[in-house]
Amino acid sequence: MSGETDIQDYLAKGGKLSAPDNAPPRYRAELLRIMASFVDSELAGAAGFADLINAGPGVKEKIAASRIVMEKIDHAERVLNIMGEFGANTSRYMNVHPWGARVGREENIGAERRDGDMRLNVFHYPLSGWTDAVVMNVLMGRATVIQLKELFYCSYQPLGEVFHDILPRERRHAELGEEGVRKIIDTDPDQKTEVAASFDYWRPRVADTFGGEKSARYDLLNNFGLRHTGNESLKEKWAKEVESFFASVKC
Amino acid sequence: MAQFYPLRVADIKRDTKDSVILTLEPPADVREDFKFIQGQYLTFRRVFDGEEMRRSYSICAGVNDGTLRVGIKRVDGGWFSTFANEELNVGDMLDAMKPMGNFHAPLRPGEQRAYLGFAGGSGITPMISLIKTVLEAEPKSTFTLAYGNRSTTAIMFREELEDLKNIYMGRLNIVHVLESEAAEIELFSGRLDREKCDQLFSRWIDVKGADLAFICGPEPMMLAVSESLKAHGMDDGAIKFELFSSAQPGKARKRKVSADASQSGAKCSATVIIDGAARAFDMEKESQSLLDAARAQNIDAPFACKAGVCSTCRAKLVEGEVEMEANYALEDYEVERGYILTCQSYPRTDKIVVDYDQ
Repeated sequence: MSGETDIQDYLAKGGKLSAPDNAPPRYRAELLRIMASFVDSELAGAAGFADLINAGPGVKEKIAASRIVMEKIDHAERVLNIMGEFGANTSRYMNVHPWGARVGREENIGAERRDGDMRLNVFHYPLSGWTDAVVMNVLMGRATVIQLKELFYCSYQPLGEVFHDILPRERRHAELGEEGVRKIIDTDPDQKTEVAASFDYWRPRVADTFGGEKSARYDLLNNFGLRHTGNESLKEKWAKEVESFFASVKC
Repeated sequence: MAQFYPLRVADIKRDTKDSVILTLEPPADVREDFKFIQGQYLTFRRVFDGEEMRRSYSICAGVNDGTLRVGIKRVDGGWFSTFANEELNVGDMLDAMKPMGNFHAPLRPGEQRAYLGFAGGSGITPMISLIKTVLEAEPKSTFTLAYGNRSTTAIMFREELEDLKNIYMGRLNIVHVLESEAAEIELFSGRLDREKCDQLFSRWIDVKGADLAFICGPEPMMLAVSESLKAHGMDDGAIKFELFSSAQPGKARKRKVSADASQSGAKCSATVIIDGAARAFDMEKESQSLLDAARAQNIDAPFACKAGVCSTCRAKLVEGEVEMEANYALEDYEVERGYILTCQSYPRTDKIVVDYDQ
């Protein structure tokens, strides 16, 4: 029989788990926390976006927004099902928090996690209209793709596989946002100012979702084989991507 | 929530000196629910000396075999495996949950894929399911199995593997690696360690041409195989792991109940253990949950939903008593072992000790 130390050693050396049975308690807790953060962010993100469907200027935009909302809830459910294998009560979970609740637009809640659900803080801020939602979607969409890729090869294989499966759709959400920004500017070049203002509003808030440079949690997760690339390098990659996109549309 | 169903033991076949293969029949009304995906396992429960024990065993049948079988190897001191090997009779009932597990890849009947499987000891059980299912469902695919054991007599499913080789002539290739026997070819004696894998991959097994690899066995073997596979060019995402030996909880230790379980005073002296460090602080009994009190002390205790639903904040109560306001996530057997949801727990005794590392 192997003990818990052996499993921790196994994980630190790149071993993987495929079922809850062998997960040591601290590993289990950190894995659940990662999953809850993803599920809550998808549910809160979908709830915020759902309110904007009607603001979409045309049929295509309304369809794109509806599709993003539907798929984000679907992605939340897939990860929630894995949480269920660890004992989470999946049916109750969906309604345990008010996913649509937001703080004031100009409130500053910093990067510290708030009480309540585990959504990333960026999802506590409200969208101010269609253009704002589309810009936020580009910034956060690109961040999501980078953050999901980071977890592809995490030591809990079933989660890595779900992230692998949903990545193309999350990537598409970001692309829909980019198409949306181009269309807004093509239709009315005066909107550039509004796009730029939204970019300035969301950029630091999305940047915070990557976490700080020196993070004790990162070290713990790295030791568990749950994370492999430091917060700072992921954030830099994201910053380059979004800056080059907004430069390409001259905003 | 976990639900158990009574399965009838329809057959017990002794496979090796230390292992049996059980054939199980689910109740008629849930037969469909016990249809499984190749590589999945069943979790059994049984009460020993008043304590509930749970153990998981891989299903060792193809998805179209029409039977539900598990292979159980006796482990020294293992309550369930000893019971299954020595006391269980045909006709007995065993409580089991529906099949679970993720040790598989979606089948692609039209494709020609090359699979590699690596099993150590009883790690062969899910491989049997994978081999049978894959070779039947994907007529153009091949499977190469490297199977490590101490000696010939310890090889589980020895005859069945030979039969499968005959059925799937040319598509199933098996390499036995035996620890305590000198084989005719030196390559096949020893253990499935890094060196052995490197030798096998440079001379016998084609890793570059393989699409997927499945590994099931003890940790050192799994690490050695995966490292060697990666060194020989296999992509990390193409390697599937199933750790079979585990730190599954043994017999539960009863938690100590404070001699002084009085409820005098509104303060409680709490000790929280996390990541190997213990921190002590005083907290009010009623105004704050244990989780909030620990977080107020800057203890980085895990949590997510704070509503008793997700179980992220689970910890073990080592001493004292708490009142759990809500519990939608822990099962009765976990509560009996002393597990609590710290976000819902308020101290009842003057002293409590809670351990997040257990």
